[in-house]
Amino acid sequence: MNGPRRFRKILIANRGEIACRIIWTCKEMGIGTVAVHSDVDRDSLHVRFADESVCIGPAPSAQSYLNIPAIISAAEIFNVDAIHPGYGFLAESAYFAEICEACNIKFIGPRPNVIQLMGEKVEARRAMAAAGVPILPGSPDAITSEEEGIRLAREIGFPVIVKASAGGGGRGMRVVHSEGELGHALETASTEAAAAFKSGDVYIERFVERPRHIEIQVLADEHGECVYLGERECSIQRRHQKLLEEAPSPMMTPELRQQMGEAAVAACKSIGYSSAGTFEFLLDEDQRFYFMEMNTRIQVEHPVTEMVTLTDIVRNQIRIAEGEPLGFTQDDVIMVGHSIECRINAENPETFVPSPGKITTFNLPGGPGVRVDTYVYPEYRVPPFYDSLIAKVVVHARTRDLAIARMRRALEAMVIEGISTTIPLHLKIMNDPVYQAGNFSTRFLEDFLSHNGGRSSGTASAALTGAAV
Amino acid sequence: MSAGIKRAMSDQDNQQPEADSSATTRSAERHRDRGRRRHRQLPRHLEASINMDELRELVGLINDNGLTDFELEREGFHVKIGRNLYGERPATAPVLPPIEHHAIPAAGSAVQSKPTATPPHPGAHAEEAASEDQDLHLITSPIVGTFYRSPSPTAESFVRIGSHVEPSTVVCIIEAMKLMNEIQAETSGEVVKIYVENGQAVEFGQPLYGIRQT
Repeated sequence: MNGPRRFRKILIANRGEIACRIIWTCKEMGIGTVAVHSDVDRDSLHVRFADESVCIGPAPSAQSYLNIPAIISAAEIFNVDAIHPGYGFLAESAYFAEICEACNIKFIGPRPNVIQLMGEKVEARRAMAAAGVPILPGSPDAITSEEEGIRLAREIGFPVIVKASAGGGGRGMRVVHSEGELGHALETASTEAAAAFKSGDVYIERFVERPRHIEIQVLADEHGECVYLGERECSIQRRHQKLLEEAPSPMMTPELRQQMGEAAVAACKSIGYSSAGTFEFLLDEDQRFYFMEMNTRIQVEHPVTEMVTLTDIVRNQIRIAEGEPLGFTQDDVIMVGHSIECRINAENPETFVPSPGKITTFNLPGGPGVRVDTYVYPEYRVPPFYDSLIAKVVVHARTRDLAIARMRRALEAMVIEGISTTIPLHLKIMNDPVYQAGNFSTRFLEDFLSHNGGRSSGTASAALTGAAV
Repeated sequence: MSAGIKRAMSDQDNQQPEADSSATTRSAERHRDRGRRRHRQLPRHLEASINMDELRELVGLINDNGLTDFELEREGFHVKIGRNLYGERPATAPVLPPIEHHAIPAAGSAVQSKPTATPPHPGAHAEEAASEDQDLHLITSPIVGTFYRSPSPTAESFVRIGSHVEPSTVVCIIEAMKLMNEIQAETSGEVVKIYVENGQAVEFGQPLYGIRQT
């Protein structure tokens, strides 16, 4: 590896709140920023606060934020040293990472071959098994026949779940409770997978009825050092989209955290991982943890980890990409207090129908222990072309109870008018006794919605665990 | 090395073009095909047309052999590369409008104030100028790149003020990632305004020419 070299300029290949988030740290580090944007994002906050900006295409993501030639062309014209891909869009595109390398632009993330490996679910499971990370009992390879599927399902034990190798987000998944259903499930899951992810490969694994989704944040430099920054509790999801997250998990013990963290670090070292990354684990009713998947990028919910560990994950990503050693060891990692994040979406809080439009009144909460990551402002028009996340409200306090009270207070002070937002839903969750008790699984939101009059997620697929953004 | 790459031509080294006459015919046919805007747009699923190893080989071949002209077609994917036509691009950033200072919103206030000014972007001045010409048809850039008004530094401009254009008239080249994209007028009329300078960086949607349509 080359020696450390400071970046003068970084292009942010993203939009919205994460683009702003990256710009904030770049400003603190004295690094110049280039914002790329679609034509409808011309007035977006990340464009306003970047040092330079360039329009790269029309509104549709495929022609703008996913438009690799446009982004690379912009990077070359502005003579940037590195590109930060944020999350979503091209953040987990091994192809994009390769092109950056070929064009001598540093991609802020792991190497392309590592992105490729962990992006393919069957291969990732195999690599994790080889690294000694527990994986859910399941098929090592893609299923090639119904007979093979039945044989494996008997070994694993019903119920099992059929999942797409190349996918996530609930598509290409089927829960199977008995042998008779398996053949049909394999077929339909494969067809759905082929349509959504271009590969019809499916595998099967044990299905846990009431799992918890706990993920481990890792940081690895390009010199073989790696640490874990504790866990995040992410069980509160609707259709595999996380709604709110917290750190630490209310059910975590120091021993379990150490086991999971050390497993994640061992896995990173075995695959040659670098930069920030997240290992998603599923915990069964007996607190056993199993590898689900790895996200080779920064995550939406990274702020809760930053609050309790007093770190800046974007800053670490940049330093790692510059070739710097990590500079601290596992013994230096601290966890202080409790942090909760609520994702505020521009959606109706009961029907979840998207609500783009012009924000008329806007007040952000402040005061002790409150952080808001957002890209909207008064009079801003939320475009209909992209995901509906408009703000993340993050609180930090000494204890979980204090954090819940702080979140309740912050949400009440957060006024957004002109569009619908999910603030009322988050307030209800903060007041929910099951949530307050801290003992919930990924079934939480479905149960909560059916008790609270809102439209329940309803379908069987809502109970499935899997790739959640 | 794939067959496509073997068809490279090089002026600089005075090598005999390896392309046979059928490649020339194909090339001529493409020049006649003016039915659509001929800027190369990478298909979304580029993996089907060209892979990274080939792309690396291409770039390496061009660099190593000092090629100036290169043309490649396979599986419906057409690449035309020109190098060193304009000399090495300067290492400094291209000419941009001067930095505009904008008010920093008050830190820590509960109400987030709206930022007032836009940071420098390639299209800023062009947009201002073009906004005055409401009755003209604007030819705008379809891609991000560097604008050139002539096919090479020593050649005449494609068009100038007063030039008449047809839909298939090439009005300029926009270079992106070392590829020269010819931009067609796609309208008939007279060139009345030119909003950009030779060698200037341009963004998507940036006004290039104002055309009085006929």
